[in-house]
Amino acid sequence: MVAIDTDVEGANLHTWLGVPSPRASLADFVSGRVQDPLDLVVETPVANLGLIAATHGNLAASQPEPSRRIELLQRLRRLLCDFVFVDCGAGAHPATIDYFLVGDEGVLVLHPEPTSLENAYAFLRAAFYRRMQLVMQKHDVRERVREAMDQRNARGIHTPLDLLREVEAMDPEEGRRFARSMRSFRPRIVLNEVESAEEIKLGFSVRSVCRKFFGIEADYVGYVNRDPAVREAVLARRPLVEVRPKSDAAIYVQRIARKLAEAAGGSRSR
Amino acid sequence: MREIPEQDHYELLELARDATREEVERAYRMACSTWAEHGLAAYSVADDSQLASLRERVELAYRVLADVEARGTYDEALGALSAPKRTEPDLGFDDEEEEIPAELPAEIEAFEDLSGPEDGRWSGASLRRTRLARGLELEQITGVTKVNPVYLRCIEEERFEALPAAVYVRGFVTAYARCLGLDAARVSGDYLERLQAARPSHVLRRKPRTRS
Repeated sequence: MVAIDTDVEGANLHTWLGVPSPRASLADFVSGRVQDPLDLVVETPVANLGLIAATHGNLAASQPEPSRRIELLQRLRRLLCDFVFVDCGAGAHPATIDYFLVGDEGVLVLHPEPTSLENAYAFLRAAFYRRMQLVMQKHDVRERVREAMDQRNARGIHTPLDLLREVEAMDPEEGRRFARSMRSFRPRIVLNEVESAEEIKLGFSVRSVCRKFFGIEADYVGYVNRDPAVREAVLARRPLVEVRPKSDAAIYVQRIARKLAEAAGGSRSR
Repeated sequence: MREIPEQDHYELLELARDATREEVERAYRMACSTWAEHGLAAYSVADDSQLASLRERVELAYRVLADVEARGTYDEALGALSAPKRTEPDLGFDDEEEEIPAELPAEIEAFEDLSGPEDGRWSGASLRRTRLARGLELEQITGVTKVNPVYLRCIEEERFEALPAAVYVRGFVTAYARCLGLDAARVSGDYLERLQAARPSHVLRRKPRTRS
């Protein structure tokens, strides 16, 4: 398995995994110094887990140019390993959305707080529209999707469901393609740092909101409680499951990981 | 997927046509929580008037689906193909301590592996994980068992020094485990072993406080 930190503006996955600031990093691919991302993989203290860090980025141009980004995404899909874990940065930068969409499984980690939910819904909408731009084949339909991305668009398209109706009216064949792609867009939701049963329930509520207001089926795959063990692990700069394997947070994280691994296995065999 | 105004009562509450009375109750409570005024889930997505209208529709859907007769008439109007089950007795707790129905939706089965003991032995942490996986707060456990929530928290956190004599702890843990629908004898047996290993047996403890 290879973990890739694509958060070049806020690289820290290496610290979570106990690898002190690797010299080889994604920045070398962005700058063109290295052509094959496989050459950037460094070992981690975890058996069978390699890392492509995002350290030492170019502060003036941290993310790759669009064409270089496409090349990176294609190469990531071709990496010879069982699983590729892509750590995306926060926010809805086009690069972040592309990294999110390249995976078989896209996971959104939320906190039970309004700011986090607001960002998550904004991200989901942006990711959905970006995906539709890539899937639609006719120029005028793609243009309509682009128009819908402006949240104050003149046509009054506010949700993916509104856009589906528009596309269906424009071109029935594209409408069917849109609906198919909409059904297969199934982001996963994880709630982090929950402190009560009420906060655990929030994951189901978020799923209902996605279903009712966006027409998107999100899967709530689990929650992780607020646990001082996480802070202990990061202060020790070692993986949580190694520092405190019996902590609640470690148990929850591992169970979610198992569930995602099973789902990823299933989506590959389909 | 139909838009909200076009959804029937079942779609609105995200229920199958043959949902049981218990599932209707649970879905109703979830919908109330999801679309609550100033609720967290719909923040930034729905405005106050949309939420108010949703709540009205949820109330109406619940009034119809929770009433056997009204539901029958509604199903006929919907042209439901199969007759829904609606012979379950009303929910309610017996005088005895009983299992509390889970608060989370039926899909919680997918989370089932998040509850239970990690290494085959019950502990305070595994009791807490099981409670949370059922969507229950400590106060709800107290409501049924009458055990002071301070003791329940101490049990979960294994703060053995703050707990009363073992005989009382056994009673508390047994009641707690029953609430979660667990094998109470096994859970209390495992827990008492941890308690006794952690503190000397000769220490006398005061009688516990209970809630009336």
